[in-house]
Amino acid sequence: MKSPATYTENETKNEELLRVKDFKVWFPIRSGVLQRTIGYVKAVDGVGCSVKKGETLGVVGESGSGKTTLARGILKLIKPTSGKVYFDGIDVVKANRRQMKSVRRKMQIIFQDPYASLDPRQTISSILYEVMKLHGVVQNRSEAIKKSIELLEKVGLSEEHLYRFPHEFSGGQRQRIAVARALAVNPAFLVLDEPTSFLDVSVQASVLNLLKKLQREFDLTYLFITHNLAVVHHMSDYVAVMYLGKIVELADKNTIYHSPRHPYTFQLMAAVPLPDPEAKKKEVLLQGDVPSPVNIPPGCRFHPRCRYATDRCRKEEPQLIRKNGHLVACYQDIDFSVEKIAGE
Amino acid sequence: MSFKANKEEPLLEIRNLKVNFHTYRGEVKALNGVNLKLYPQEVLAVVGESGCGKSVTMQTLIGLLPENAYVPEGQIIFKGGDLTKKSKEHMRMLRAEELAIVFQDPMTFLNPVLTIESQLEEVFTLQKKLLIEASNLEKTQGDVKFTDLLREKSSDAPQTNRKLARKEVKRISKKLCVDILNLVKLPDPERILKHYPFELSGGMRQRAMIAMALARRPSIFIADEITTALDVTIQAQVLHLLKELRDKIAASTLMVTHDLSVAAEVADRIAVMYGGNVVEVTSTRQLFKKPLHPYTQLLLKAIPNILNPVETLESIPGTVPEMVKPPPGCRFHPRCPFVMENCSKDRPKLKEVEKGHEVACYIY
Repeated sequence: MKSPATYTENETKNEELLRVKDFKVWFPIRSGVLQRTIGYVKAVDGVGCSVKKGETLGVVGESGSGKTTLARGILKLIKPTSGKVYFDGIDVVKANRRQMKSVRRKMQIIFQDPYASLDPRQTISSILYEVMKLHGVVQNRSEAIKKSIELLEKVGLSEEHLYRFPHEFSGGQRQRIAVARALAVNPAFLVLDEPTSFLDVSVQASVLNLLKKLQREFDLTYLFITHNLAVVHHMSDYVAVMYLGKIVELADKNTIYHSPRHPYTFQLMAAVPLPDPEAKKKEVLLQGDVPSPVNIPPGCRFHPRCRYATDRCRKEEPQLIRKNGHLVACYQDIDFSVEKIAGE
Repeated sequence: MSFKANKEEPLLEIRNLKVNFHTYRGEVKALNGVNLKLYPQEVLAVVGESGCGKSVTMQTLIGLLPENAYVPEGQIIFKGGDLTKKSKEHMRMLRAEELAIVFQDPMTFLNPVLTIESQLEEVFTLQKKLLIEASNLEKTQGDVKFTDLLREKSSDAPQTNRKLARKEVKRISKKLCVDILNLVKLPDPERILKHYPFELSGGMRQRAMIAMALARRPSIFIADEITTALDVTIQAQVLHLLKELRDKIAASTLMVTHDLSVAAEVADRIAVMYGGNVVEVTSTRQLFKKPLHPYTQLLLKAIPNILNPVETLESIPGTVPEMVKPPPGCRFHPRCPFVMENCSKDRPKLKEVEKGHEVACYIY
């Protein structure tokens, strides 16, 4: 078995591991006796992005922006409506069952709620053995136990935890077990779906540190999904901001935080409460709520809440294009870093 | 608003409050001697992780502890009386008039089968005094606004035996409903009043809840994790509203949150709780500039900060203590990097180290 570390030995670094193209996940709304489809919830509506080996792409957005659906769609846990997902050269959307099995081994997910994602009736040892057996990582039980102990030590637990049940652990420890389970099959790519939002701040920090350490150690690639902008800044190399099923801006983390180009990104950043009462902040309040993904506004989907909206924004939908090192979907060309300085 | 500690008599004082829960696992000592003072007109944030006792403190304060809980020791002094000794009926009265609370999830506290109007109107209809004041003001001024009533409120308001006709009650309360929805910045109040709670978004529901709380003209406005269930942009809107309201309303605000950044945005003072104790109380500025308790210091370093990014966050070893068998002495000592010999023996008392800065730690 190849270990995750050996993946990059033969291949050049900074190679693309995942590419998503025009990805859509629509959920039909059925109604009436015949259960006819009367509309769609366009949870993910045309997303394109790519992640390079060893890097972390953070995806942020408010609830209902489609970030979790995107993650599950990429892993084919939800069947995508259209679009392409290339993982290590294989089109995941079109892959058959046999191909999927090998792909699934390389991409793993860690869910938000560690209380729901571990089987309460299995011990940690059998939880870990099950995945390893399924993917043929180990030949027999004793080999599995040896590997399980190694894994537990990697995530900051120890051998004594092996024969316990999930309910005997705290939230932070459970999330560590979930990490160990994901690593059990030597993946190259991990989807982290809000891995710390159920945890307390003091525990959150240790889980984030662990994830960073493991990324370096195993040369893992992360897709980090969260609504917490401070956490995503801490974890990611690049950040994609989603709004109503689309990416509105994608750039490296410092650029996106310090000189956002999309009005939504700017207002999202301004909304983050800062742990510093003396920080001078410009009060920019975003009016209104996120519209329903059933009736997406025509044109730019952000225009009803945007201060800079013009007639063009109301009619045509802007595409995600490259501007000054950002990928932005906006017709206006406003450098919000200037505005930020003016506000201070 | 300025920081008013040590200048005035506190409006509310919690003294050495202990709360235990009977459970099948044994006695859970949720609160272990909480001391807290709330001064008039201030915003005090109570911050802590899950299980630190911040919600139990609020529940004890408003008299809504579950059946299996009891108060073995301690007092809550409010307007000369001890709230822990009051009858259920009396507490119900207080909740109606003095202590208004808004919870995390508005959907569980709004009646799903009644419109916002009927729920908000009910609050006004039950307040005869307020309606009479409103009607009097309307006569003298020609018009009345809810904000006028907020200013007018005093305990020795003229006692009139005037009775209002039912039609009059209906008219005035409707007027006040629209007014108060304007105050909490709900757009198009006339239309919103006709809506049912499920038709509103999370942020709007929370505003409606705030409106209902303010309609009672409380002395203490308790906000229990009110922005936790909201998205960042909506959270910013609600926090902005709170900041605006604090100059308009006469109430003190007691804000419970797990998020230090949220507390930094709105609070005048912050009380940090850990394991059923208040470990540090000081002004917001001071807490972030010079935290004294080791727990506060570590907690501040554990939060990722966009302004000041670091490669690795400092994490606090161990976990939040088990409340059935809490560690003896200072409950933070098993996780504390500066632990000393007497930390595991006696519980440190909250003492004033600097002016307006209290901390419960033997280091000081």
